[in-house]
Amino acid sequence: MQLLPLLRPLFSRPVTECLPRPPAPPGGARFPGSVQLRHVDAGSCNGCELEIASAFGPVYDAARFGARLVASPRHADGVLVTGVVTRNMAVPLAKTLDAVPAPRVVVACGDCALGRGPFGGGYGVADSQGVLAAPDVAIPGCPPGPVAITQALRTLTGR
Amino acid sequence: MSAALLLGGLGLGAAAALAGGALPARSRVPAAAVFTVGACVAALAAAARVLASGETITVHSAQVLPLTGVTLSLDPLGAVFVITTAVVGAAASCYNVGYAAHGGGARTGTALLPLFITSLLAVPAAGSIATFMAAWELMALSSLLLLLTGHRRPEARDAAQWYAVMTHAGAAAILLAFVLLGAHAGGQSFAVIRAGAAGVPPAVRSLAFFLALAGFASKSGAVPLHVWLPRAHPEAPSPVSALMSGAMVNLGIYGIVRTGDDLLGGGQLWWWLAVAGLGAASALFGALHAAASPDLKRLLAYSTVDNVGLVLIGVGASGALAVKGHPALAGLALIAALFQLASHSAFKGCLFLAAGSVQHAAGTRDLDSLGGLVRRLPATATLFGVGALSVCALPPFSGFASEWLLLQGFLRGFSAHSAVTATALLAGVAALALTGGLTAAAFVKAFGIGFLGQPRTPEAAVAREAGPSMVAGMALLAVPCVVLGVIPGTVMPVLAKAAGTALGGSADPLRASAGLAIAGSTDVIQPALLAAALTAGLAGAWALLRVRARASARRAEAWGCGREEQTPRMQYTATSFAEPLQRVFEDVLRPDRDLDVSHLAESRYFEDALRYHTRIDDAVERGAYRPLTVLTARWGELARRAQNGSMHRYVGYGFAALVVLLVVLA
Repeated sequence: MQLLPLLRPLFSRPVTECLPRPPAPPGGARFPGSVQLRHVDAGSCNGCELEIASAFGPVYDAARFGARLVASPRHADGVLVTGVVTRNMAVPLAKTLDAVPAPRVVVACGDCALGRGPFGGGYGVADSQGVLAAPDVAIPGCPPGPVAITQALRTLTGR
Repeated sequence: MSAALLLGGLGLGAAAALAGGALPARSRVPAAAVFTVGACVAALAAAARVLASGETITVHSAQVLPLTGVTLSLDPLGAVFVITTAVVGAAASCYNVGYAAHGGGARTGTALLPLFITSLLAVPAAGSIATFMAAWELMALSSLLLLLTGHRRPEARDAAQWYAVMTHAGAAAILLAFVLLGAHAGGQSFAVIRAGAAGVPPAVRSLAFFLALAGFASKSGAVPLHVWLPRAHPEAPSPVSALMSGAMVNLGIYGIVRTGDDLLGGGQLWWWLAVAGLGAASALFGALHAAASPDLKRLLAYSTVDNVGLVLIGVGASGALAVKGHPALAGLALIAALFQLASHSAFKGCLFLAAGSVQHAAGTRDLDSLGGLVRRLPATATLFGVGALSVCALPPFSGFASEWLLLQGFLRGFSAHSAVTATALLAGVAALALTGGLTAAAFVKAFGIGFLGQPRTPEAAVAREAGPSMVAGMALLAVPCVVLGVIPGTVMPVLAKAAGTALGGSADPLRASAGLAIAGSTDVIQPALLAAALTAGLAGAWALLRVRARASARRAEAWGCGREEQTPRMQYTATSFAEPLQRVFEDVLRPDRDLDVSHLAESRYFEDALRYHTRIDDAVERGAYRPLTVLTARWGELARRAQNGSMHRYVGYGFAALVVLLVVLA
C-alpha cells in the first residue's frame, strides 16, 4: 500500500476553503448553531446531489458551520429538496415534509426545485408547487456550486 | 383436624370430577369449578396448618389400595407444593368456567380437570411408594386424556403420543428406583425407606437416584428429556397448560428433592453436580428457543424449561453444598430454588391463562398474526404484562425477588472453599445471567409483537376481551406475582421450614424482614420501598407530562419512508424480531429454510410464485430423538421379517424356544 500519499496530509496545509460569512437573513438565523436536514431527491438528474456531496466533503465542509444531513425526517429540522417534483415523488415528498416536527424549513436546491429547470412542464412532472412554492431557502443554479450551497446553509445556522 | 382437611380436600376433588361427569351441560362446569375450588381451599388449609405447626399429617388406610394400602404423609416440604398447586388449581378452575363456555364443557374434559388437580394435590402428600405411584399415574393419565380432548387436530394427537411415551417411560424409571430402594430398605413406606437408606449399598443408591432423576427430570422438563413439553403445553386446553406448567413440572422437582435430599439422606457430590449441569443446559436451551419461537404458547413452554433449569441449578447447588457440610448455605440455595419454583408457578400460570385468552379472542397463537391487542383486550394485556415483567425478573415483581435470592445462594456458596462446587456455581451464575437476557428478548417479543402496534390480521382486529371468570382466574395468579415480589419476606419462614425438612437441619439463613435479608451479612433488598419509589416516580413523571404538554399533540402517520400505502403487515414480526438472535445462535438452533420457486410456463427466466418457509425445530429432538425413532422403526421392520403370516412358522418358533429352554435349563 502506498504509504507516502497517506503521510503527506500530516505535513501539508488543509485543503478546506476559507469562506467569508454570508449576510444574515432578515429576522436572524432560523436554527442558530446547527440544522439537521433530510435530503429528498424528488426526481433530480443527480447533478445537484454531486454538488451537495462536494459541499459536505473536505474542501467546502458545510458541517463545520453546523449543517448536517440526517437519515430520518423525524430527526430533522427540515428537508433539502433537489429535482423537479415528479408525479411518483409528489406524495412521498409531502409525507416526508409532514414527518418533520414543527418548526420545519424547506430548502430548495437547484433550478429544477425552484421551477425554472429544463425539465419543468414535462408529462412526468407533478404540479406540486404547493410544497416548493415558497421555500424558506432557495439555492439557484443548474447545478449550484458547493460554495453557494454552503453559504445558503450558513444563513440557516448563522455561523 | 388437619388430616380431615386434607382428606376432605381430596374428597371434594373426587366429588368435583363426579359432578363434572354426571351433571347436565349447563350446570356441569360451574359445579365442578365450585367443588374444585373448595378442594383447593381445603388442601391449602391443611398445608398451612402443617407449615404453621411444623408437624406432619399422617393418614394410613389399608383399605383403598389392595396389598399395600394408602399412606398419606404431608410434611412441610410437601405442604409448599400443595399450596402452590392449590392456588394454580383454583385459578385454572375459575378460568375454565369462562373458557369452557365457548365450545368446551364436554363431559370428559369437565370430569378430568378436577381429577387432574386432585392427583396434583395428592402426589406431594403421598407417604408410600404405592400411593405415590398411584397418584403419579393418575396425574399422567388424566393430563394425557385432557390433552386428547383436542384429538381432532393432528398436532394434538402427535403431542399426546410423545407425552404418553415419555411420561410412562419416566414413571417406569421412577417405579424402578423406588422399588430398588424399597427392596433394600425392607418396606414401601417413605418413612421405612428413609430409615433404611443408610444400609443400601452405594452403587444401588446411585443407580436409584439416577433412575429417579431421569423420571422426575423428564416430568419437569429438563433437557434432554424435555421434548414432550414444547409439543404438549401448546396443544392442551389453556387451563390444562397452566396446570401443567404451574403445578405439574413442580412435582418433578419435588421428586428430585424428596429422593435425593430426604430419602437418600444427601447423596454424593457428583449426583448434585449432574443435577446442576442438567439445570444449566435446560436454562440456556429453553431461553434460546423461547427467544426464537414465533408461537406464543411454545415460547411460554420453552420458558418453563428455562425456569425449571434455574431451579435445578439451585437444587444441585444446595445438594452439593450439603454434601460438603455447609447446611446454612445449602438451606439458602434450596430456599431460593423453592421460591423460584413458587414464583414461576404464579407467573407462568398467569401467562398461560392470558395466552389462552388471546388464542380464544384472536383465534391463533401465532405472534406474527397478532398485534394491537392492548386496546382490544386491556385486562388480558395488563395481566400478561405483569407475568412478563415477572418472568424477566424485573422489580417489584416476584421474579426479581426469586432470582435475586437464587443469585445470592450461588454467590454465597463460594465461601464453601471447594474448587468443584465453586466452578459449578460460577457456571450457574453465568447461566442465570445469559438466560436473563434471552428471556427479556423473548418476552419483549411476545408482548411487543403480540399486544402492541397494529393488528396484523382481521381476526386480531376484532378480538374481544375475555369474560369475567377468565379475567378473575388470571388475576388470581397475578396477585401472588405482585405480593411475593413486594413483600417476599413473609413467605421466607415457610420456605425455610420446607428446606429444613428436606435437608434434615433447621438452619435459618435469612433474617426476618419484609424484604429479603441474608443472615450474617448486609445483603438486603426491600422491594416494598422500591415499589413505592417506582410508583412515586412514575406518578410524578405522568403529572409533569400532563402539566408540560399543554400544546395538543398532532396525530400523524408512522414514518414509513414516504410509502404511499402502509399496512399493519409491514410492522416487525416475531420472526424478524428474533432474527438477529437466531443468526448469532444458528449453530444451536439450525433453522429449517425452504424456498419454493415456480416459474412461468413461457419462460424459465420469469418467476410465477415464491414460497418461503422457515421453521425452528427443537435441536435435541432433531439430534437425539429422531435418530432414535428411526432406529426403532428399523428394528421394527427387521422384526417384521420374522412375521410372514405362516402359522407353521409361528408354531415352529414356539417349538424352537421350548427346545432352547430345555437345553439351557438342563
